[in-house]
Amino acid sequence: MTAIVENKPAYDGKELDLSGKSGARAFKNVLATVLIVAAFVIALIPLIWILWTVVSKGYHLLLSADWWSQSQRGVTVRREGGGAYHAIMGTLIMALITAVIAVPIAVLGAVYLVEYGKGTKAARAVSFMVDILTGVPSIVAALFIYAVWITIFGFNRVGFAVSLALVLLMLPVVLRSTEEMLKLVPDELREASYALGVPKWKTILKVVVPTAFGGIVTGVMLGLARVMGETAPLLILVGYSKNINLNPFDGFMGALPTMINQDRTELALQPAADRVWSAALTLILLVLALNLLARLVARFSTIKSK
Amino acid sequence: MFVNRLVRVGSVAVASLGVLALSACGSDPEPSGSSSPSTGSSSTGAECPQGTLNAEGSSAQKNAIEEVISKYNESCDKVTVNYNPTGSGAGIKQFNNGQVDFAGSDSALKTEAKDGGESEAAQAAKRCATNPALNLPMVIGPVAIAYNVDGLPKLVLDGATAAQIFQGTVKTWNDPAIAKLNAGVTLPSAPISVFFRSDESGTTENFTKYLKAAGGAAWKGEPAKKWTGTGAGKEKSAGVAEGVKSTKNSITYVEWSYAVDNKLGVAQIDNGSGAPVELTAETAGKALAAAKPAGTGSDLSMKLDYATKEAGAYPIILVTYEIACSKGLPAEKTALVKSFLTYFAGKDGQGALTELNYAPLPEEIRTKVDAAIQTIS
Repeated sequence: MTAIVENKPAYDGKELDLSGKSGARAFKNVLATVLIVAAFVIALIPLIWILWTVVSKGYHLLLSADWWSQSQRGVTVRREGGGAYHAIMGTLIMALITAVIAVPIAVLGAVYLVEYGKGTKAARAVSFMVDILTGVPSIVAALFIYAVWITIFGFNRVGFAVSLALVLLMLPVVLRSTEEMLKLVPDELREASYALGVPKWKTILKVVVPTAFGGIVTGVMLGLARVMGETAPLLILVGYSKNINLNPFDGFMGALPTMINQDRTELALQPAADRVWSAALTLILLVLALNLLARLVARFSTIKSK
Repeated sequence: MFVNRLVRVGSVAVASLGVLALSACGSDPEPSGSSSPSTGSSSTGAECPQGTLNAEGSSAQKNAIEEVISKYNESCDKVTVNYNPTGSGAGIKQFNNGQVDFAGSDSALKTEAKDGGESEAAQAAKRCATNPALNLPMVIGPVAIAYNVDGLPKLVLDGATAAQIFQGTVKTWNDPAIAKLNAGVTLPSAPISVFFRSDESGTTENFTKYLKAAGGAAWKGEPAKKWTGTGAGKEKSAGVAEGVKSTKNSITYVEWSYAVDNKLGVAQIDNGSGAPVELTAETAGKALAAAKPAGTGSDLSMKLDYATKEAGAYPIILVTYEIACSKGLPAEKTALVKSFLTYFAGKDGQGALTELNYAPLPEEIRTKVDAAIQTIS
């Protein structure tokens, strides 16, 4: 604004008074500001409400070491005690397996789409399919794996089957974000590398991917955060267990979303209600920790400009 | 350079996951009863096998079986029993597909085939390597008619009146039909709000069977898992209980434990014997003792007499079964199933149910169930 006031334009006839805003403009300015702030506040209300409810109702169980180190074995809805160790471990194990399968496929797929397949029919088809896959509801992914894993192959319901369904959900998220990140890498960098006689594969490995690394990691973490809260595959593909089971290939397995679901119907009983809130808070904290980790990794891995 | 960075990033990630994973080497909580030693050395008797049992089914027996598992683990702590309360239908399906070792169900396996396919019992026999599956009545869950009316600590209903209320033909609390049964009580003139289970439920099926049997012409629908009467739908037992709790002058049918947990009024039932019957563990058990076996031999499925006129028998009960293979499971699973079910049907297992507002099996039936379990091999 000050810039305008200083550079008074020469105007023949009447002199313009630019010392202040005209009434209409001032009003529009105030109106827009109010609207934007109001939208921001409205968006914030449910967020803060949810966080406040979960934290205030769930924090006290999290303070005890038992919560982080014990299972719910032998603890009924009427009894206090026990912890969420079995569910935290179940969630982490399934998320880890999901990431191990999904991330290489997604990152290499994105590299192909951006570096090799640019503009080809195959790449366009893959891109289109990935977009469709992004919109697939988790229940559909779960039922697809159920059909393959249990109906066709006749295996039992295990944690690994959940991971397979989660791969279907995580893959498009990571692939899409990696693709966008790789596209952001300026072509000049690639050209400079080629000009020095560096082969294409080495350019990708040493120049393109490192440049986009922070963004790729963020995408991976966002994908993980998404799948960790998924409930439908857990309900369909593995039974909930209150006991510690660290083997994803055998038996029922606990997980935080199913732990919440298990006691959800018993909210009239205080011990069960406490555990539901605390499990919800634990899940939020776990996702939060992953996001912080992503920030950390992204910061450490950005290329420093010299 | 890049590889270095990758190593660094990787080690950060692995380290933080490791911290999460290893900071606490998880364990099971100590049993609440201090009597059992944590070493478990005394508890690995000959009758205690080792391993994991997976079961799934009726949500009506969830609280009962969890309590029994907890008690069972105090004496057999090498056995892990998982129970998923996903519903009777799901439980039977998973059992027949070989996904779980036994199932919990609100009704015995159906013996007649539907839609030209195989009947539940035939599929179960296939799963058990051509041996019949047993229907073992294990938990009696009384269904309460729960209400919320100010200044009405006691309410008496009979089959016909209950049917009229839930059909919607009796619309207000001071209707002559209700007033006749509750002489000397001032009933409000407010309309009755009825809540029903919007999901398909074994509770609804058993309750409508009662309304059909005891209500006579007043109940127009057929017994089914889906509600056909009047009212507003709520999901699951917790939903209808919450609905009645938060709405004045409302009524619903719900498992007894939910009525007690939510501190709702529970109607006494006049079954025609003369005196209204209060809902207690004994009155519910008495109704089951009056039930006739529907199967033969070691098949113990029950045919309940909802229109019973026996004095002191509370007629609205729900029997939940454990469905297990009589033969045909792998030996180690057989030992586990047998050990757990023996405990469940035993005096300790059944005794644990009373405090949770389930009714224990009457002694006569309990011994039959126990005998059937001993034939599992």
